[in-house]
Amino acid sequence: MTSKKHILPTALYIHIPFCAKKCNYCDFNSMVSESRVVDRYLHALSKELNTLESQYTFTTIYIGGGTPSLLSAIQLEGLLRGVIRYNPTSQTQEYTVEANPGTLTADKVRLLKEYAVNRVSLGIQSFQDRQLQFLGRIHSGDDARNAFSLLRNAGFKNINIDLIFGCPEQTPDDWKKDLEIAIALNPEHISTYALTYEEETPLTRDLKNEVIRKLDEYTELEMYKTAIEYLTLKGYNHYEISNFAKSGYECSHNYVYWRNTSYVGVGAGAHSFIDGMRMSNEKDVFRYIHGMHENKKDVKSFRECLPQDHFVSETVIMALRLRQGITNTDFYERFGSTIQDQFGDTISILRKAGLVSYDDERLKLTEKGLFVADTVMAEFIYI
Amino acid sequence: MSTERIRNFCIIAHIDHGKSTLADRLLEKTHTITSREFRHQMLDDMDLERERGITIKASAVALKLVRNGQEYNLNLIDTPGHVDFSYEVSRSLGACEGALLLVDASQGVEAQTVANAYLAMEHNLAIIPVISKIDLPQSRPYDVLTEMEKTLGISPEEAFMVSAKTGAGIDEIFDAIIKHIPPPKDSSDAPLKALIFDSVYDEYRGVIIYLRIFDGSVKVGDEIYMMKTNRSFKVEEVGVFKPKMVAKDGLSAGEVGYCIANIKSIRDIKVGDTVTHARERAAEALPGYRPPIPMVYCGIYPANNADFHPLREALERLSLNDSSFTFEPETSQALGFGFRCGFLGLLHMEIVQERLERESNINIVQTAPNVTYEILKINKEIVKVDNPEKVPPVNEIEEFREPIVRASFVLPTEYLGAIMQLAEARRGNYKGTEYLSEKRAILTYELPLSEIIFDFFDKMKSATRGYGTLDYDFIGYEHADLVKLDILVSGKRVDALSTIVHRKDADMKGRKLVKKLKNEISRHLFEVVLQAAIGSRIIARESIRPIAKNVTAKCYGGDITRKRKLLEKQKEGKKRMKSVGNVEIPQKAFLSVLSVDE
Ligand SMILES: Nc1nc2c(ncn2[C@@H]2O[C@H](COP(=O)(O)OP(=O)(O)OP(=O)(O)O)[C@@H](O)[C@H]2O)c(=O)[nH]1
Ligand code: SF4
Ligand SMILES: [Mg+2]
Repeated sequence: MTSKKHILPTALYIHIPFCAKKCNYCDFNSMVSESRVVDRYLHALSKELNTLESQYTFTTIYIGGGTPSLLSAIQLEGLLRGVIRYNPTSQTQEYTVEANPGTLTADKVRLLKEYAVNRVSLGIQSFQDRQLQFLGRIHSGDDARNAFSLLRNAGFKNINIDLIFGCPEQTPDDWKKDLEIAIALNPEHISTYALTYEEETPLTRDLKNEVIRKLDEYTELEMYKTAIEYLTLKGYNHYEISNFAKSGYECSHNYVYWRNTSYVGVGAGAHSFIDGMRMSNEKDVFRYIHGMHENKKDVKSFRECLPQDHFVSETVIMALRLRQGITNTDFYERFGSTIQDQFGDTISILRKAGLVSYDDERLKLTEKGLFVADTVMAEFIYI
Repeated sequence: MSTERIRNFCIIAHIDHGKSTLADRLLEKTHTITSREFRHQMLDDMDLERERGITIKASAVALKLVRNGQEYNLNLIDTPGHVDFSYEVSRSLGACEGALLLVDASQGVEAQTVANAYLAMEHNLAIIPVISKIDLPQSRPYDVLTEMEKTLGISPEEAFMVSAKTGAGIDEIFDAIIKHIPPPKDSSDAPLKALIFDSVYDEYRGVIIYLRIFDGSVKVGDEIYMMKTNRSFKVEEVGVFKPKMVAKDGLSAGEVGYCIANIKSIRDIKVGDTVTHARERAAEALPGYRPPIPMVYCGIYPANNADFHPLREALERLSLNDSSFTFEPETSQALGFGFRCGFLGLLHMEIVQERLERESNINIVQTAPNVTYEILKINKEIVKVDNPEKVPPVNEIEEFREPIVRASFVLPTEYLGAIMQLAEARRGNYKGTEYLSEKRAILTYELPLSEIIFDFFDKMKSATRGYGTLDYDFIGYEHADLVKLDILVSGKRVDALSTIVHRKDADMKGRKLVKKLKNEISRHLFEVVLQAAIGSRIIARESIRPIAKNVTAKCYGGDITRKRKLLEKQKEGKKRMKSVGNVEIPQKAFLSVLSVDE
């Protein structure tokens, strides 16, 4: 089996590893820092941006975190100016910046607009203050609504809202209410994440000390089903496990991950996938800054030339996150063989169990398979 | 060399009484090892021994001792103390004329002190009683002397006191060895007669046999003959243990050493066999060893069916070095092809299983252990059942019989009540109490083996705050009201989960077992039903709810490697499981039966 040559990456990810305060559940690469450190980081980041191959043009750019909106207006402008050279004529199709309702201000919104950012992802998580407190968020439900209006009034036509469900003691009614408020705001895109308990977070510590109890799986499932039903009813397309969008507003940047094609990541801990090689940058902010200042070309802490069999199985696994799954044509074009050839036995077992559907056109999860997607995906792992 | 200056002895004691540490001092004082080579419990050279801090295998070592200007050759065998390895002790005794019987000065006489002392007496060995660890602040050597006199008829004047920690009393031990242990009989001129008391397989040199020469001598180039297996070999190398193997020209009557003779097939060798010369043969073989009777059996299966033959080879190789376990091929509907293996106890079973996995790299699935039953059938035929699967249909059974042991507990008198209560609850039959002193006693019960072999030991230890000890001997089979308890997983009977239990406990055990299994078997995409049954009667039921939701919402940015690793881990976990129907059963589940009382 041969694979087609890797094409140039078309997606750029930029990581801002700072937050005003760590949320209780968070295991993302982010920390609380003084402004001086942020300055030094941005300086290092601009150096790394400068090392990128100049022939790159990106169809999608995504500035995520951490909290990019935490940057001061001056810092933000510096960053956006550094990025603009990869989007000189504003032809980047999708240019997203993540924002926290607690740190987004009118002048920052204006800057985003000025530098051709055309999509903002708002980390709202919930509109209910009790829930927000539990999660350790820095903003209130009102802050969230205000931030949304601020963006809308500034002319943003593509806004995403992140919501979390499945907190201890959260009821299906609470969740339904969050969904209703979200719909009332009429965003173009909604992501719903089930709360997860990651190692070494305050939340997991509370769980271990029995201060809190996990919501039971069945209620969590009910909430997930509610989101799917309700949002679909309201005209959002459930196109990926956790993502819903109005038609034409599916997130192009994330598609790059789901389709397992190339992307470039810059900043501390950012991942890249270029020419069949997976890489990630040094995760520690200080080591990252230090490394860049020593004029190293990069600060990679991990590199792996992805073996073909892993590549194939990752591709299927990531594609199964999409409700449309993966088509035979697409698979054949990329790997020169059919899905059937590669995974025939696995598919036939999973099909009998009603977890995937497979026909002449495509392989995808059934609704039953969707709820146990991880169990299904593990079957596509090579070991 | 004349045998006048040879002494062969072993060190025997209850577990942990300081045998291997005393051996360290004897090695050191005779300069058998340099201080650079030295490490604690030097003779415990197996990884498992060092990890667990106990002796599992007996080890022989040759010491040179100079006394009054004379050089003596001492052959020492350090033996294990745990009851499961008593076959190691009896084999070692057969290669010696004397024994150092150690008793820990702080613990006193314990169950295996008595058992091992009697074994040595049966072999007519000269016994040198030694009270060890006298440096301990809580030592009470004079009470211990009284206990030894009461139980073993050893007079206090005969005993020596040592500390292997400080070195006190060690010199006197050397003198006692020379004085009290008789030299082996000098019969170098007779035809060769040597006892194989142990053996080990070496990948490059084949089987290495450990010998005690009783008559005659053997040297490189000799043609030797194994009297039981009827095989001849040409000697390539002989030597002694120092404690590493050191080659010599020959070994003669009275000596202990090893012999390499290009023996490639494991089956050509039997521990306990007599080695003689091919031409000039000894008239009759040495009595050899009575093979030990396995106390517990369990099934050992390769986790991966393709590993059946490698597993057989591994078992054969291991059995050379441990002749006390048995194995026979068997098949299970649930587990495929494997072996029914017999062991002297649970620790023995655990050690064999661990050695197998380490020494062969095969993943093993082990079933719950059981004792051997005897069944008298209506047609008067008697069948031995070492696997619950072999129990005949109920309508063919006239009588179910189970093995009974005589158990002796040595314990402080204040715990007599607690142990009696425990023994009664386990269907014990009180036989008597004997006082060692005002404070300590030996309590004797007859008990079903199945009641004490699994979890009893820990219960006894906690009931006596660690002070109680236990030894037991098989005495025979007795009628009992037993039934076979089956387990059904999603409606299918899983043969490897069947057990034999007493009728009065059946309901309780069935209920607990399915509860236990419920925790061991992870959730599936469908409901898994667990049932316990006696014949066609279902006595307990549990069900494992299916996985409702298992989907990671987050996409981890571009960190796809992380996602893959998580899924890999999930899939890897399944490799050590056996799938019965569609249900994945982990290794641990097969052992659930062991701990249903918790
Ligand atoms: N204080 C003191 N401790 C000792 C002495 N001899 C042995 N020990 C300790 O007692 C423990 C058991 O010693 P071992 O020599 O392994 O006992 P063992 O009889 O060989 O044990 P098994 O072979 O497993 O039956 C170890 O922790 C030793 O350090 C001694 O003379 N004094
Ligand atoms: S704002 Fe986001 S990145 Fe920052 S701590 Fe909270 S969850 Fe983590
Ligand atoms: Mg020892």
